[in-house]
Amino acid sequence: MKVLICPLNGPRNISEFIYGGEYHPNPDHIEASSREWAEYVFFHRNVAGIVTEWWCHSASSYWFLAERNTLTDEILRTFNTDEIFNCRVEFSSRSNSEVPSG
Amino acid sequence: MSVVISPTQTLRRSQLYRRHRQLGADFAQFGDSIAVDHYGDDEVSQARVLGLADLSTLPRIGFKGLGTPVWADSCGVKQPAQPNWATLQGDNTLVARLSSNELLLASNLTGSSKLIETLATATRAHRVYALPRGDSHSWLSLCGEQAANTLAKVCAIDFRAQYFTNLQIAQTSLAKINAVIVRTDIGDNLNYAIFSDSCSLEYLWDSLLDAMSEYRGRAIGLQALRDCATL
Repeated sequence: MKVLICPLNGPRNISEFIYGGEYHPNPDHIEASSREWAEYVFFHRNVAGIVTEWWCHSASSYWFLAERNTLTDEILRTFNTDEIFNCRVEFSSRSNSEVPSG
Repeated sequence: MSVVISPTQTLRRSQLYRRHRQLGADFAQFGDSIAVDHYGDDEVSQARVLGLADLSTLPRIGFKGLGTPVWADSCGVKQPAQPNWATLQGDNTLVARLSSNELLLASNLTGSSKLIETLATATRAHRVYALPRGDSHSWLSLCGEQAANTLAKVCAIDFRAQYFTNLQIAQTSLAKINAVIVRTDIGDNLNYAIFSDSCSLEYLWDSLLDAMSEYRGRAIGLQALRDCATL
């Protein structure tokens, strides 16, 4: 049985978790090109090595991050999201004059 | 002549009321709720060995959001210091801290909680969001000296009394569905409050009764739990 350590709930059977995909830093929501957005939303880097991934403990709906070695399937550590998301992100919009037409 | 109380005479009813009727339940009013009073005789003895009670019609509510701890504190809610622990208020309302910023409140066994009533209508602070736990979650009570052994058959967590202390919480998989399990002893009787998806209540009820049969467990009414509290 595989066991994953949830930062909130402690060690739990892997069947209690949902994989949420690779973690990617948010692109700049105003300056990012369509290509950058497409890569952020649809593409995975698929690294053979240590990656950071989203996981959710389904019984508590608790999302957290994990560092995993994809070559050995070893979980190196799990941690709360506030380690990365430690300040509020304001998604301010362009002023109307800056919005490209069409 | 005593008045017969029907489980369908109020809007809020348990998904299990047909099963309760099949088991020969007598229903009673607890606060504004109607729940099973008893099925048979001497349910206190049964509660001390192994019993399962349906408390799903009793009041409960939840709140989450960054502002929740400070707001709840300002409303006079006594909160556990750490997530996955619970505490009892002066009137025995259960306050379970499910994460740093999430609380679940469940009424005492009288079926009424002034605190829940007050919070339900109170003006919420910025970044405090109400959760309709009374609608989204069922509430069962598994009690007695064989309760931990029963849970061992359907869950990976070790709930034995010496390892899982009173007012500790486990959010985990129970009989393959998600559940919040809070140890809330009643008097000196071991008791686990189980909050789970209300849509799966019939499945969970049947699964637990099936697991309990090995230990001669059976359904009990709310009155037996109340009697345990006063013994």
